[in-house]
Amino acid sequence: MIKRFDPIEGRNSDIIESIMQSDEVVGLGDDLKFKIRLCVEEVEENILCYSGSTWVEAGAEVEGDHLSISFRDGGVEFDPLAKADPDINAPLEERQIGGLGIFLCKQMMDVVEYKREGDHNVLKMKINIKL
Amino acid sequence: MDVTIKKEGAQTLVTLVGRLDTTNADQFQKDITPLMQDENPDIVLDCTDMEYTSSQGLRMFLLLQKSVSSRGGKMVMTNMKSQVKEVFDITGFSNIIKIL
Repeated sequence: MIKRFDPIEGRNSDIIESIMQSDEVVGLGDDLKFKIRLCVEEVEENILCYSGSTWVEAGAEVEGDHLSISFRDGGVEFDPLAKADPDINAPLEERQIGGLGIFLCKQMMDVVEYKREGDHNVLKMKINIKL
Repeated sequence: MDVTIKKEGAQTLVTLVGRLDTTNADQFQKDITPLMQDENPDIVLDCTDMEYTSSQGLRMFLLLQKSVSSRGGKMVMTNMKSQVKEVFDITGFSNIIKIL
């Protein structure tokens, strides 16, 4: 179920828990829930940091074998997938702090896609829940 | 995330309990500040009850490892849960932080 959060400032936990406690997610296995929590947190953190939107619509829906998690916000155009992946083989002294969150989403989810729809940023992630 | 720091001879044992995420990463950074002061530190992070870390948590561990290395010390993370270990593996952190 998709829910609207307005305003979003300071509501990180509300948004994460709303998805984690939803009927679509609550009964899934621990490994899946770990990945879902992590990816939801990373996307939401990106929206809060970069989009400047005061609201977000977020939620999870089951589509066949997959759980689809979507986010829609009204902020400035921001495609988090456009950023280059961090160099995960860099030595300690050269490791950078940024870019790890979305990289984790790309690795843990089966699909991560971004679209600009009118004045909205739309980010969708899908993960197989039947494997 | 609850952080307990205990000195055992030359070694510092740090016990991490709970989740490390965006809501408590700032507090965690304050909690580990004492670990960023000694010369030649020898730090063991007991992760038996660390349930979760997001990229915010990884940043803190990177910060700590860089600080420890720059002071000629060593640091090891022990008993990490498989789900948490996967986060370290995917991001290559397993190559720059010692995990036992």
